[in-house]
Amino acid sequence: MTKRIFRAAFLVSLIVLLLSMILLLSVLYTHFGRQLRSDLENEAGFIAQGLSHEGSAYLEELDSSERRITWITASGEVLYDSDTAAAAMENHADRPEFQAALANGSGEAARYSETLGQKTLYYALLLADGSVLRIAGTQSGVLALLIDMVPAVMLILAAAMLVSLVLASRAARRIVEPINRIDLDHPEMDDEAYDELAPLLTRIIHQNETIREQMEGLRRKQQEFTAITENMSEGFLILDRHAKVLSFNSAAISLLGAVASEENASVFTLNRSKALRDAVRAALSGQACRRELQLGDKDYQLLANPVRRDAECVGMVLLIVDITEKKEWERLRSEFTANVSHELKTPLTSISGFAEIIRNNMVQPQDVPRFAGKIYDEAQRLISLVSDIIRLSQLDEEAIPAEKVMVDLYALAEHVLANLRDAAAEKHITCRLEGCAALVRGVPEILEDMIYNLCDNGIRYNRENGSLTVTVSEDAEGIRLTVADTGIGIPAAKLDRVFERFYRVDKSRSKQEGGTGLGLSIVKHAAAYHGAVVQAQSRLDEGSVFTVFWPQKATKDGGEEK
Amino acid sequence: MRERFDAQLERLNTELIGMGARCEDAIAMAVRALLENDDTLPTQVLEIDAEIDRKERDIEALCLKLLLQQQPVARDLRAISSALKMVSDMERIGDQAADIAEISRYIDGEKMTGRVHIEDMAQATIHMVTGSIDSFVHKDLELARAVAAEDDVVDRLFDQVKTELIGLIGEKPSAGGFCLDLLMVAKYLERIGDHAVNIAEWVEFSLTGVHVGG
Repeated sequence: MTKRIFRAAFLVSLIVLLLSMILLLSVLYTHFGRQLRSDLENEAGFIAQGLSHEGSAYLEELDSSERRITWITASGEVLYDSDTAAAAMENHADRPEFQAALANGSGEAARYSETLGQKTLYYALLLADGSVLRIAGTQSGVLALLIDMVPAVMLILAAAMLVSLVLASRAARRIVEPINRIDLDHPEMDDEAYDELAPLLTRIIHQNETIREQMEGLRRKQQEFTAITENMSEGFLILDRHAKVLSFNSAAISLLGAVASEENASVFTLNRSKALRDAVRAALSGQACRRELQLGDKDYQLLANPVRRDAECVGMVLLIVDITEKKEWERLRSEFTANVSHELKTPLTSISGFAEIIRNNMVQPQDVPRFAGKIYDEAQRLISLVSDIIRLSQLDEEAIPAEKVMVDLYALAEHVLANLRDAAAEKHITCRLEGCAALVRGVPEILEDMIYNLCDNGIRYNRENGSLTVTVSEDAEGIRLTVADTGIGIPAAKLDRVFERFYRVDKSRSKQEGGTGLGLSIVKHAAAYHGAVVQAQSRLDEGSVFTVFWPQKATKDGGEEK
Repeated sequence: MRERFDAQLERLNTELIGMGARCEDAIAMAVRALLENDDTLPTQVLEIDAEIDRKERDIEALCLKLLLQQQPVARDLRAISSALKMVSDMERIGDQAADIAEISRYIDGEKMTGRVHIEDMAQATIHMVTGSIDSFVHKDLELARAVAAEDDVVDRLFDQVKTELIGLIGEKPSAGGFCLDLLMVAKYLERIGDHAVNIAEWVEFSLTGVHVGG
């Protein structure tokens, strides 16, 4: 702006200067012309007087370097000329100034010489003797005048330009300064600003207000967005159409195992696996895409969705979900299904086999009861298996129909041991119950099942003449139910796995011992249902100890408040 | 104009990352084929190798197009010319991974594990390849130099494997064929390490303008 004002002011002064120069010159030119004419007239008068007094000798004496003086007779013959010899000159009768002088007593004419660039002014005066005195003066042309004056004019122009330069720049600065001084953030504070700017300033004040509000809104939205994405456990990335990262949350970085990301870097600098590249490519070509990505021992699912604007893909959103646990669950479930089918099929095959033999009359009549007994045994096994599975799935879904009541563990254990007396007697196992009464809140059937399964295992996997000790104890921390046997024990490496469904430490042995393979799994789930935890300790060939521990709190609420 | 050029450079970058990632896949899978005796793995490696070859041609075409149409100077020129050099090294890595996979068909993996340090060597090589690609992806000068230094480790392991194989042949001449195959594998791994160093050197060149390789 300063520049423009300066330029305008400078230009204006320049134009004015030039114009006035030209005008002045033209005025001067006519003024000089007039001056010359009156000079000529005066001089002609003097010379005419001189002539009449002294005759032609006067002319000879006259020093006339500036003027050309010609004396012409009435017939036009040149008697004298100050420049050239009079004899050589032609007759001057046809000259307009001469004719005008003859007619009017005086005459004048101006002739312009192109070659000299000069104007010659002639003045003729009729003398008393009828001859004519002509005097001529030259005046330089405009151009010549200009050329004459060039150094001076240049000097003046330069000086004027210099002055106008300084003045114009100072003026421009002075005009702009108040505008520059306006504080655009707080225009309302400024009283010195031009009145002409007032509407603009009001407008700016309003707009400042609006901008502040909008910024505030945007920041709030940004904060909300950040709060949401940062608290997500899923990785979240927004990419532009060149797969550059526009926005990301910290979970995305940690899930992808990247060190750090600068914004606007390609997403492939974070991870360049094929799954990610395929997903990104598919999404950027406009198709939603799911891919699984394995990084180390973790499994991730990539959900890539294109972002469209006006049917054109402008970017994409990438969601990274940790599905390690889910995959593990799926693996367990499919394993469970496979195991269940296998476990169910075995007794059914035997039942079907025995029944087929009987149907085909291949059994002696006296053997039929034995076969029927085998069918019965297998059917019993099937029933217990199915009821175990039902119990387990109930515990899984926590869909137990019964109410929780206060149960005495000691009494329950006593009852269980009484039920198992025959089985224990068969292997000559001594069962002992120690401790005192301890009340926990829970479902009696499930707790009984739990204790039954622990004791049943203790007898089943015991050796001949072994012992089984059930202890119920209570202290400040909580209640413990311990089942210790003197059996075959569990190898330390497999101790963690015994609670898995259908897991058998020794597959061949379990077959002959019976059991469904679900017992300890039920124990674990039943304990968890009541807010208790199960621990197993074991020494190979010396026996195992299973401890169910209810923390103080769980004994009262039955593990309902977790 | 510049914007278009930038987009093309970005595409070149992405393509290079993709090709590098495939190289990592190829070598990792070839090593697995060697150690695990999975019959489907060598075929997969060959497929990846074919893909790498395709990518090499694509990237070369892109580089030439950029050189001709955009007449890049300074850093852009370095980036493109080093890309041209890098793809050849990556392509060689793919080829050698395919060669290892081919040999793995004739080698019983479990028999040899533990006898020689080939697995350590393979891991070191994979680490180098990953490092060189990482240095390119993150434009990491330090990492590029570290990769170049790591080559000594692989070279030492190669010597060790060689000595072990000589011992094995002396001990059991009937295992000679197996040992020679394994020596080839070790040589390929050692070459892959060299190519990884080359890649790292080109990364360094594209960043600093100085090519240190001999």
